[in-house]
Amino acid sequence: MALNIIVLIKQIIDIDQIRTDPNTGEPVTQGIPFRVENLSKNAIEAAVQLKEKNGGKVTGIIFGTDKANAAMKEAYAMGVDDGIIITGYAGNNPSLTAHVISEKIKSISDYNVIILGNQSADSYTGVLPGLIAGKLSVPILGNAVSIEAEDGKIKIRRALEDKDQIISAPTPCVVSVTQEINQPRLPPVLQIMAAGRKPIKTEQPSLVDIHAGKVLSNLAPKSERRRQIFEDASKGSEEVAKAIRSEIK
Amino acid sequence: MKFLVFSDIGKNVAEIATKLRDLGEVHSFTMKNQRETVLKSGSKRLVLLEGTPFSGNVSGALIGSDLPTYDYVFISSTPLGREVAGLISASTGNTIASEIFDFSIDNDKIKTKRFFFGGKTIMEEENSSKIVTVTPGSFEPSESAETAQEETLALSDSHEKLIEEKDRESSGTNIEAAGIIVSVGRGIGSKEAIEKIMPLVSATRGEIAGSRPVCLDYRWLSEERQVGLSGKKVKPRVYIALGISGQIQHIAGMRGSKIVVAVNKDKDAPIFQECDYGIVGDLFQIVPKIVENLKK
Ligand SMILES: Cc1cc2nc3c(=O)[nH]c(=O)nc-3n(C[C@H](O)[C@H](O)[C@H](O)COP(=O)(O)OP(=O)(O)OC[C@H]3O[C@@H](n4cnc5c(N)ncnc54)[C@H](O)[C@@H]3O)c2cc1C
Ligand SMILES: Nc1ncnc2c1ncn2[C@@H]1O[C@H](COP(=O)(O)O)[C@@H](O)[C@H]1O
Repeated sequence: MALNIIVLIKQIIDIDQIRTDPNTGEPVTQGIPFRVENLSKNAIEAAVQLKEKNGGKVTGIIFGTDKANAAMKEAYAMGVDDGIIITGYAGNNPSLTAHVISEKIKSISDYNVIILGNQSADSYTGVLPGLIAGKLSVPILGNAVSIEAEDGKIKIRRALEDKDQIISAPTPCVVSVTQEINQPRLPPVLQIMAAGRKPIKTEQPSLVDIHAGKVLSNLAPKSERRRQIFEDASKGSEEVAKAIRSEIK
Repeated sequence: MKFLVFSDIGKNVAEIATKLRDLGEVHSFTMKNQRETVLKSGSKRLVLLEGTPFSGNVSGALIGSDLPTYDYVFISSTPLGREVAGLISASTGNTIASEIFDFSIDNDKIKTKRFFFGGKTIMEEENSSKIVTVTPGSFEPSESAETAQEETLALSDSHEKLIEEKDRESSGTNIEAAGIIVSVGRGIGSKEAIEKIMPLVSATRGEIAGSRPVCLDYRWLSEERQVGLSGKKVKPRVYIALGISGQIQHIAGMRGSKIVVAVNKDKDAPIFQECDYGIVGDLFQIVPKIVENLKK
């Protein structure tokens, strides 16, 4: 069964490179590049694998900014066929993101499955799978560690805190994936170059007024640790044992 | 004020209900098999859900339970809970304050705290959101004398179907309650090597825990022992990190510890920025030395 797959891709500022100012605690984001968010990469890999197995097509959607082209090209290089960038993203506001994305998806009527990350690596919101499924009134298969398609149905395996499950739902449906589902591929240079030439559709969103929370502060948590570091193992173990013993009693 | 609290895990309901019961009336919803853990949470009303839970039928049950009469809906951030929050938000139009670990309510505004930038910062926000997802382990549950008025509610059939289910072995451990935690990272190297640090675990009468790769990728320890942003939030008196580099997602789970000890062979490992006592060196040589000193 050829599948029409939609994958949702978030572009984030490279959180691994963000430093916080030791005096003010402010995150320093200036000059730090954007990249594809971690779980979105797992989602892309899962979508491309599903296509490779069943045939069909993968459409990537980014609700981002005019800087999102590089992220979409990376997605192309990994095997995404078509890309749509919707501009207007202005920070963490999952309800707005879900609105914009689901309005777009409504115009793609013949999709079978929407794949996205279960919780994104920067904001860790985790509510988009439910929001999107709710707005489109389709079932939701969450936290997949593997995905299989069989006629008219999607089946996933998932690991919950205390049990492993296999669950299924009729298509169209939403599937959220975990980090454990796959190891996202590193595309070869030729593919990256070819991806650079592929067209990307850029669109304006159908904007609505959905308020995000008002940010009061966003600072590094204060650490008041002693940071007493020993390179002498004997001395270190003695001090550490002393500290532990004082807490055991 | 009136609060609806839902989690598929009873303990998580008890945590949130404990925090909310001083602010108003708490009505708690959970699965029937979680009854014991929620009974003394100080909830006025306890609704026990029967059937196979999926986010569709659970959100349907909550929406059908006089949802508009509640000032706030608090849902624990489990895989099921996050989906339920999204579905309720899509259906009611109320926005969500997500992955909150602390909050205060001032009438129609809620001030929330959550991690941002993958755990590097704490973001404080003021919201008009009526739905809140709460990070498990954020509040200390305590028992209340108030007895809940119990009822059961059958979940409807769902579009999603359960094909197979296997309980994973649970050791019944609760590292969130541990006073001393010995935590191992990828630096431990193999499952077998964990045996070598057990003398430290017993000498401190501690619990063993691990970083995400150790618990999820390699499964050297069970998932319920994972510490971090996507694992358990622990606050022991002593947290001993062995062969853990100290990535921010790990720190987010152990920041509340009273004393942090780190052993790492790389003197530039970020864990040394987040510890009280650090020893630079091979954990397999240092752990026996600590044990020896503890026995003196
Ligand atoms: C969305 C998201 C959520 C995440 N959630 C979590 C989470 O909840 N918990 C979590 O832990 N991680 C989480 N991570 C992963 C996190 O980013 C790191 O990858 C992980 O914490 C690294 O684990 P580690 O320290 O065990 O391994 P490494 O980073 O590989 O560190 C191993 C360390 O061991 C040291 N070492 C090696 N051999 C020895 C030896 N013989 N003696 C002493 N030291 C030695 C090395 O110097 C190194 O510092 C998450 C990541 C993402 C993107
Ligand atoms: N702005 C966005 N554009 C496209 N996809 C997104 C966006 N934000 C989040 N997603 C997808 O939703 C997943 C979960 O994100 P979140 O619910 O924000 O934690 C991510 O891993 C992405 O797959």
